[in-house]
Amino acid sequence: MATNILEVKDLQKVYPNGTHALRGVSFDVTEGEFLVVIGLSGSGKSTLLRCINRLHDPSSGSVKFNKDEITTIKGQPLRNVRSKIGMIFQHFNLIPRKTVMTNVLTGTLSKTGVFKSIFGIYSEEDKKKAQELIELVGLSGKERHRADNLSGGQQQRVAIARALMQNPKMLLADEPVASLDPATSHSVMQYLKKVNEELGVTILCNLHFLSLVRQYATRVIALKGGELIYEGSPKEIDENWFKTIYGEEAVEVTID
Amino acid sequence: MSATDQSTLPQHLQKKTSNIQKSSKVVQALAIDIFLWAYTCLVSYKIIYQKLIANVRHADFAWSQPLTAIGVGAVISLVLFMTKLSIGRASKGLYDLDENESILKQPFMFFGYFVIIITFIAGINVAQVSLREFFSEAGLMGAKRIFTALLQPNFQIIEPALFAAIETIYMAFIATTISLPFAFLLGFFAARNLMSNSPITFAIYNLIRFFLNVSRSIEPLVWAIIFSVWVGIGPFAGMLALCLHSVSSLAKLYSEQIENISDGPIEAMTATGAHPIQVIWFGVVPQIVLPYLSFTIYRWDINVRMATIIGLVGGGGIGTMLMQYQGLAKWNEVGLLVIVIALIVWIMDYSSSKIRASIK
Ligand SMILES: Nc1ncnc2c1ncn2[C@@H]1O[C@H](COP(=O)(O)OP(=O)(O)OP(=O)(O)O)[C@@H](O)[C@H]1O
Ligand SMILES: [Mg+2]
Repeated sequence: MATNILEVKDLQKVYPNGTHALRGVSFDVTEGEFLVVIGLSGSGKSTLLRCINRLHDPSSGSVKFNKDEITTIKGQPLRNVRSKIGMIFQHFNLIPRKTVMTNVLTGTLSKTGVFKSIFGIYSEEDKKKAQELIELVGLSGKERHRADNLSGGQQQRVAIARALMQNPKMLLADEPVASLDPATSHSVMQYLKKVNEELGVTILCNLHFLSLVRQYATRVIALKGGELIYEGSPKEIDENWFKTIYGEEAVEVTID
Repeated sequence: MSATDQSTLPQHLQKKTSNIQKSSKVVQALAIDIFLWAYTCLVSYKIIYQKLIANVRHADFAWSQPLTAIGVGAVISLVLFMTKLSIGRASKGLYDLDENESILKQPFMFFGYFVIIITFIAGINVAQVSLREFFSEAGLMGAKRIFTALLQPNFQIIEPALFAAIETIYMAFIATTISLPFAFLLGFFAARNLMSNSPITFAIYNLIRFFLNVSRSIEPLVWAIIFSVWVGIGPFAGMLALCLHSVSSLAKLYSEQIENISDGPIEAMTATGAHPIQVIWFGVVPQIVLPYLSFTIYRWDINVRMATIIGLVGGGGIGTMLMQYQGLAKWNEVGLLVIVIALIVWIMDYSSSKIRASIK
């Protein structure tokens, strides 16, 4: 039986300005899943992901990663947990003016000492691994290029390589294809699928397009107004569920 | 019934707060009007009437005069407050402008023009502008003497002049480099986005902002005078003054740059499990190095000009030399120094803008 890599229980998040972004969300993620989170803009998807790796602190509730409670840890233990959870972002968030290689190597920061990393001293092993990952995401030959000069799709692949550099057990992806065109979106999603299936990395991904959800997700959860209102397989999202999740007026837009 | 009561309550509260906002705006508008009318009365009486019309030589001043002006101003503004002449109401957005008329033709602007005109007349009077002196025979002779001397610079002193110029440039350079690390560190503490997380850091932020603003609003020239009393007249006093002013201006510019960086790389580095120092080094520093470099070079450029000026009050370098020759009325030497200063400023200006353009 597959084990749960992540257990989220009754998670609440109230931002300092009073916005109640998550209202008691509970779900589990089993190892090896490709779990997609859907929901309207402002439903709390990004907040959910950021509460898991503690970019934001949850207000209450529990998050267990590999059975360990991680909502209250600080300092080095928190950094250790973060290093096992990779993250990719809608706007890639690469370091400007740095090469692809340097960007990928920042994935090892948690295990490289502060001084070594400041002087750019990385182990041979790490450099070799970075090289392999750059090949894996199909960017060999671009190691010395400035990352911010690449196309959007290429930048997102650098971000994937950077996340993989952490040897993550799980990958959080916050709308990884929302700023890419349809063809590039598919190529990036294919890479995520490959990471999921071949490297066995569990993926928790926010997506906007249901057509992508149907194609890549093994399971789906839906948020609405900070509450979890759907949990099931992507095939079960019919017209009715669609209207419940996105509202009566919504019309499905596809991406192919 | 109670349900409807509850639902009307928030609206009630909303109305109340907007009423408070509105009345505070009315008070501010009235204050603006009273100030402008009191000013108009005072200037009209003291300068237009006493000096220009009645031609009183030594008009005596009494505190009762401005107080009376405020009283009269208050009466006039209260009378005119609801008319279209109220600048206060117009500037606080309390009155609907005629959409079809340009703002320059609104009635309240004519009162504005009147205030500007009397200020101009008063200004000419206070600054003692006198065309008669400007074109007087003795005046013109003096000007001719200086200009001919300036146009025949004395190249005998080119050597000491160049040494003094080098002293000035070095002084500016050292002042810039010494202030750099301080400004660099303070820049982080004065950046709102890094400091607003906890009440303690936010208090530090406010304190540092306060000191930066105070020290920046005092001119380096004034600092030079203070320091020359403290450590004695000379390049050291000038350099201290430049340092202080550079630290506060650079720290301000640096912190603004930090406030403008995007959170993305910071989030990404935090998410990899990096140490906070690594997060700053990889998430913040690459976004700020080039602007920092550019500000710093610009600062050096400014410091060279300021060092020249500070020299005038005894801060050393070419400014001090200029001051000495000017005191002795040796205009040919002054002419040479003016040429050297113009050259330095031009070279610094040109090269600093070239360097800054190339690192964009
Ligand atoms: N840093 C913040 N401070 C205050 N409120 C926030 C913050 N971030 C998000 N929110 C609010 O929390 C709610 C949920 O936002 P969140 O970004 O999680 O939604 P989302 O589902 O990711 O939306 P989108 O699809 O637009 O990215 C929104 O109402 C948003 O305005
Ligand atoms: Mg989002």
